[in-house]
Amino acid sequence: MSEAITPDDAARRRAFAEVVEPEIEVMLRVARSITGSAADAEDLVQESLVRAFRAIDRFDGRHPRAWLLTIVRNTNSNMHRRRRPIAVDDWELIHASRPAFGSVESPAAEEVYVVQELDGALQAAVAGLDPKFRSALVLVDVHDLSYAEAAAVLDVPVGTVMSRLSRARERVRKALGPTFTTTRGEQS
Amino acid sequence: MTGALRQMVTCHWTARRLQRYLDADPAAPLTPGEITRLEEHVATCERCSEVMRQHRLLHRALSLWSGRRPVDPASVDRMRTVLDDLIDGRQT
Repeated sequence: MSEAITPDDAARRRAFAEVVEPEIEVMLRVARSITGSAADAEDLVQESLVRAFRAIDRFDGRHPRAWLLTIVRNTNSNMHRRRRPIAVDDWELIHASRPAFGSVESPAAEEVYVVQELDGALQAAVAGLDPKFRSALVLVDVHDLSYAEAAAVLDVPVGTVMSRLSRARERVRKALGPTFTTTRGEQS
Repeated sequence: MTGALRQMVTCHWTARRLQRYLDADPAAPLTPGEITRLEEHVATCERCSEVMRQHRLLHRALSLWSGRRPVDPASVDRMRTVLDDLIDGRQT
């Protein structure tokens, strides 16, 4: 027989839902990055939601996304019964999918041209990065996480995320040097 | 000579803060004074202006990758159901 839910408990549960519901999509995106599979991502997010619910009394109400992504990371580590550095390995899958233009927003035709000119060289440059630099780049620039959120996923300090991100961007920018030069006249 | 040296120092100073300026992340904000100094330098320095353009373009190109593999709405719905079950006490 289940216990009756008190009014206080009901309010607490509603507050939990209000905090968590907007973050489900980003939890799934990051979980897919970590696991490399949509099915595994769902399992991971489901287990993370259960753990978050049990831990709601320890949540201070600030930075819910970073809190939830920390739970996703720890849950993944526990599910695999080993601790290893998180690698974000889905960028190849992202890149192999259909172009985004027109599906999410409508960039200017000029921007479409410039970005498409960069695309092949960009793919090669990102592929050539060390995985720890690539992870920071994908989480912040592709998945649009903040430094703190990326730090939560990677289990490293914010300063480490910034340092890896800076190195990753600089290496990619330098690798794209000739392509950038050819796009300059087209953009202006 | 002094002017060239000052310019070089300011380019170096700018390069070290460019990422924080462009990201505007709450974890690592620049001060208003730093923002003003950086913007004034970039407005007059062709090299730093070009580096900034390249970083902006790079970020834009990468951000468009996320739209290539949107999260399956059915997945989101299933996770919402899990959440509903939790708050309704059907799953603990």
